[in-house]
Amino acid sequence: MNPAPPTQTAAATAAGVPARLPGPPPRKRFQRTWMAAYFFLIPYILLTLVFFLYPFFNAVVLAFHQTNGPYTRVFVGWANFAFVLGDPTFYLALKNTAIFAVFSVFLQLPLSLGLALLLNQGADKIKGFFRLAIFSPHLVGQIFVGVLFSVLFVPRYGLVNRFLHELLGWGLENRWLENPALVMPAIILTALWMYVGFNMIYFLAALQNVDQNLREAAMIDGAGPWQRFLNVTLPAIKPVATFVVVMSTIGSFQLFELPYALLDGFGPANSGLTVVGYLYQYAFNTGDLGTGATVGWILALVIFIVSLVQIRISQSMKGET
Amino acid sequence: MISDFPYGKAPFWILVAAILSGLVVWGASYLQTHEEPDLIFATFAQNHYEVYREVIPEFEKKHGVRVQLQLVSIRALQSRLQSALLAGTDVPDLVELVNPSMGYFTQGPLEDVGFIDLTDRIFAEGLDQRMVWERFSIWSSRERIFAIPHDVHPMGLVYRRDIVESLGIDVDAIETWDDFLEAAHIITRDLTGNGVIDRYALDLPSDGNWALRGLLMQQDIQMFDQQGRLTFNQPATIDTIIWYLRASRGPDRISFPAGWGQTFSRAFNDGLVVFVFTPDWRTRQYQMDLPGLHGKLAFMPLPAWEPGGRRTSVWGGTGLAITRQTARPELAWELAKFLYLDVETAGAFFLQSNIVPPFKEAWEEPEFDEPNPYYSNQRLGRILVDLARQAPPEYVTAYTELTHSKFSEVFLNAALHFDRRGETGLREYIQEELDKAQAYLERIMARNVFLFEPAQ
Repeated sequence: MNPAPPTQTAAATAAGVPARLPGPPPRKRFQRTWMAAYFFLIPYILLTLVFFLYPFFNAVVLAFHQTNGPYTRVFVGWANFAFVLGDPTFYLALKNTAIFAVFSVFLQLPLSLGLALLLNQGADKIKGFFRLAIFSPHLVGQIFVGVLFSVLFVPRYGLVNRFLHELLGWGLENRWLENPALVMPAIILTALWMYVGFNMIYFLAALQNVDQNLREAAMIDGAGPWQRFLNVTLPAIKPVATFVVVMSTIGSFQLFELPYALLDGFGPANSGLTVVGYLYQYAFNTGDLGTGATVGWILALVIFIVSLVQIRISQSMKGET
Repeated sequence: MISDFPYGKAPFWILVAAILSGLVVWGASYLQTHEEPDLIFATFAQNHYEVYREVIPEFEKKHGVRVQLQLVSIRALQSRLQSALLAGTDVPDLVELVNPSMGYFTQGPLEDVGFIDLTDRIFAEGLDQRMVWERFSIWSSRERIFAIPHDVHPMGLVYRRDIVESLGIDVDAIETWDDFLEAAHIITRDLTGNGVIDRYALDLPSDGNWALRGLLMQQDIQMFDQQGRLTFNQPATIDTIIWYLRASRGPDRISFPAGWGQTFSRAFNDGLVVFVFTPDWRTRQYQMDLPGLHGKLAFMPLPAWEPGGRRTSVWGGTGLAITRQTARPELAWELAKFLYLDVETAGAFFLQSNIVPPFKEAWEEPEFDEPNPYYSNQRLGRILVDLARQAPPEYVTAYTELTHSKFSEVFLNAALHFDRRGETGLREYIQEELDKAQAYLERIMARNVFLFEPAQ
């Protein structure tokens, strides 16, 4: 163990040289540091107040009003909540969003984990290339991906239908974005391409932190690959997996830009309408910010409950293991 | 100096950056306020922008003022403009709006509308007579007019003349949609015998959408009336939906949804679709996007629903509004009239855009009689002007987009019924769906305390 280096003052005293004058007395220095910290925090505090706290509390007020812009409003009590909760279109949007969230968790995340497991083995250079290739769709943004896939899904000329026709002799005129039954699969496929790589990075980071000694010990004890995955890898990455599941669910409930760009709206018969799309429709298409704020609060509540349930389930599973 | 700064180097440079950027912002705004134009005019259409850029210097010279012309995103001219109007932040003096956005701007009390009420000026100057009156409807709310129309946008069919002539079809003999269906069944063919249709007569979107609404307007069936009441629920609507379903689905279909952009261009170029619904503005798009079809296309009026019936409909629309915040409303009104009511400007604009203005005096300009070689030397301007005289009105409200969405839902449910059960019970089913859609929309509209008295 190396001895700790002498401090400048102690070394100077030992050499017979007078020590450098110390700074201001501790109390004054503390005050100055304290003030400096707040000085540099002012922009952040201001931005938070103006763009987070004020809109947050204003949204509560708005939810009880019918509005026409920021100055004209009429108090309507709980009428906005009663309207939204009695509106079949809201439940359609909620259903669409829930379907997307379920597929995000049960299709997208297992695929991400599978890819992460594959990329956690093999040579570093190959790993690096595929990591970048699979992650890169996330870099281009939802609008770009939406527009790109709207071309890929075109009947007769689109790449997806051409591929299906060449491979299966079927599907040349599939109207992915015009047939209500095919709209949600099209959104899920598009999101899959975009987000699989993003979630894979989380899983990959978690996998790289799994204790190799445990894996080796399991191998020595005769555990097969599946048993090692179930009993060593999965428990080790559970905190990250919980995080990814919760964040993915929250992200799914906030879905808006991707279907909006893909469908250039909300699709036939609102088959691509999500809860945030429904919020947008009221707040910005019909200009009723009050109803928009109400939908926002209901959505926040739904996300809170779903996340709580997921975390509870994860905790109970932790208790079992 | 840096070493003397008590909080270290990084905070020092942060402070320097903050001061510098503050100075730049202040300097830029200072310069901007010292170069302010007399009027700011925002448009969203590139072709409008090009024409205005050429003619506005004449206006500037005549009035000794400076006009700043801005080309902005179409989306910026709806929700962002409305937010700015209502919040009282800076907005242009004049703006060109796209239909059906006026419904959005007039959703609140009339005194909250961010545009100057032009009704009295329009009547005082006789514009209700000098312009196509039906086109004011999309810029009106509660019988007040907030913009002047830029165009009529009469709709007809553009077709592949080369293909139609090679099949021996005489388009002049097509007067009604029944006549068209006869010709359509000759055109629609599997040319290679592989079981896949290679040529369809008509481009129809599979979700109804604009084409179905255009066909309804041709028969004077509107989504709303002048007072903003729903009017789509009529027996003729059911007939039209059934006609559309027969044309677009099932074994006897004669149409293909060619879509937009490159997909459409490819389908039209390949002859996958032969006839295409085309308002005046779209004729120019083909000229730009499909140079290979030069001389192979021609324009015809829409077939009528009954002999002697209306041969056109409308699709789209632009209007010019003056914002209430303008400091010079009279100058803005002069500019609006200069751009929209000058016969020479209108003629020049037609040559660049193929768009028919609603200003009737301009229709006598020679530009409207020039043969268009792209359209097989037809006098496209004259054909469009003749159709413009028959243009139906269109009424919009804040609920227009929602109504379109709901109407599309009715159509798609009817299509699912048609796919499963054919025409058995179809009429009754569509009636039920229309009733449901109307009840839903009325419930939503009744909530608007600014437009209607709340239900007791």
